[in-house]
Amino acid sequence: MGRLYKYRWQYLMILPAVLLLFLFNYIPMAGIQIAFRDFQIGSSIWSSPWVGLDNFAFLQEPHFWVVVQNTLYISVLKFVFGFPAPILLALMINEVMHGGFKRFVQSVSYLPHFFSWIVVAYILQSLLTLDGGLVNELIGKAGGEPIFFLGSTEWFRPMIVASGLWKEVGWNTILYLAAITAIDPQLYEAAKVEGAGKWAQIRHITFPGILPTISIVLILSIPSLITVGMDQIYPMMNSANMEVSDVLDTYVLRSGLQQGYFGMATAVGLISSVIALFLVLLTNQTSRKINGEGLW
Amino acid sequence: MKLTLGEKAGQTAIVALLSLLCLSVLYPFLYMLAISLNEGADAARGGVYLWPRSFTLINYEIVLGNEVIRNSYWITIARTVVGTVCGMLVTLVAAFGLSYRGLPFRKGILGYILITMLFSGGLVPIYIQLHNLGLTNHFLVYIIPRMFSAWNMFVMLKFLQGIPEALVESAELDGAGPVRILFRIIVPLSKPMLAALGLFTAVGHWNDWFAGAFYVTDQSLIPVQTYLQQLLNASDLSAVMGSNTNQEALARGSQQNITLMSIKMAVVMVSALPILCVYPFLQKYFVKGVLIGSVKG
Repeated sequence: MGRLYKYRWQYLMILPAVLLLFLFNYIPMAGIQIAFRDFQIGSSIWSSPWVGLDNFAFLQEPHFWVVVQNTLYISVLKFVFGFPAPILLALMINEVMHGGFKRFVQSVSYLPHFFSWIVVAYILQSLLTLDGGLVNELIGKAGGEPIFFLGSTEWFRPMIVASGLWKEVGWNTILYLAAITAIDPQLYEAAKVEGAGKWAQIRHITFPGILPTISIVLILSIPSLITVGMDQIYPMMNSANMEVSDVLDTYVLRSGLQQGYFGMATAVGLISSVIALFLVLLTNQTSRKINGEGLW
Repeated sequence: MKLTLGEKAGQTAIVALLSLLCLSVLYPFLYMLAISLNEGADAARGGVYLWPRSFTLINYEIVLGNEVIRNSYWITIARTVVGTVCGMLVTLVAAFGLSYRGLPFRKGILGYILITMLFSGGLVPIYIQLHNLGLTNHFLVYIIPRMFSAWNMFVMLKFLQGIPEALVESAELDGAGPVRILFRIIVPLSKPMLAALGLFTAVGHWNDWFAGAFYVTDQSLIPVQTYLQQLLNASDLSAVMGSNTNQEALARGSQQNITLMSIKMAVVMVSALPILCVYPFLQKYFVKGVLIGSVKG
């Protein structure tokens, strides 16, 4: 008891955090039982009747599997483009000789990270809309037929991938640029003496120098494969592109908060939470094997 | 330093590509600014690319004359200030308490926090809990659920553990209690870290539209980003024209042919301008912040 009393101030300091997590994380975790109950808003979770696996009937609906497919499709696409792009950009920024221009490029490329996805959606709309959008105006001038980008199933994925790149590519170079700065300049000097050109220096010094960072970022991006960023998708969604734009998170949002199928939406959420947990644990194991230490 | 021909060509290519990238970031804002400063019907004819052709401030007058927009702006400012201060305080205090290695049950408490980063109850149970606590349709729904950030806590903890223990111990010998140590010794030493995390927290509040869209139905409580989200798919101008106190501007607006697009661009510029303005001054903090956060906690 004496030791606990000695640390009374410290416990008092931690208490608010513990309470907040209990209220907003642990009670909702207990609320997952809604997935197995017939719950109506206004009634108590604990007294709602148990219904077994009734809420999981969505597993037999074809639309659910379309949603799963969309989620994977978009997250894989975002990964394929979003993972190598910042590495290339960092290598390019590093090669810039003019210091002022280099700092300018860094400043400008970090900027979009600070805008919300709503603002990004406005930018896309102002450029791509049918009535008065810049791109369609230029297409018209070139004599082409206007394209309904915002309501098209073909253009939805490219739009998401491109706007995601636009927003985050610069920001994601920060880690790589820091890793490049940490490389011993003597290595480059020695390589020059040996007669290595720029390209050889990048291949044999810079790239190996940032390889540990690349592997960490790669490992850390595994869990995001299941969450495609509802923040980004939801504003761009409409009835015309629903077929390709509906992903797990938006599906939960619509069926749960908008249509009131609480049990079913919780069940979908539970499935994606479990997959996410599995991916994080997998990531941790991978990290332990490759880097010799886990994430925590 | 002499460059070979190949290196010169490489430099040129890189500079050209990077300039294109910068252009792709900056141009959309310039374009939206030009449209927002142009008469709507005139802009709709096309040809406005860089600067307004038929200059007007009417779009801004109408936007700023709208009660809901003005109010949403205050909500955003209030939640950003209150949310950032409360969030940083609660999280820092917890991180400081947990930085005492001798604390009994320390591992257990850290595990309790870590679990919340790995597994979530999901959207619906969270919503129901907010509803049960009476937080839905309340300003505090923006503040309280975000008051503690597990991620920021671990970053802070990592940073605090880098501060030499001798500093804390000598203060303890002088009779200083933990609260005094935190604010007299720890906070001044952690300024760059606090600035960076505070900045990220503030940006998170400024940009959040989700809570306003799904946890709040009262239009007088929505932040700017939620207003933008509602307007994004609006099919007519009624949302902006209604509850507008600038009747005189409205009357002129209908003469000058404002359009949905010109108004939208004005609203989005009004929401984005503060970030564009403070951005250059905050840069030095956030790069540091990313690097502190990248070190495993």
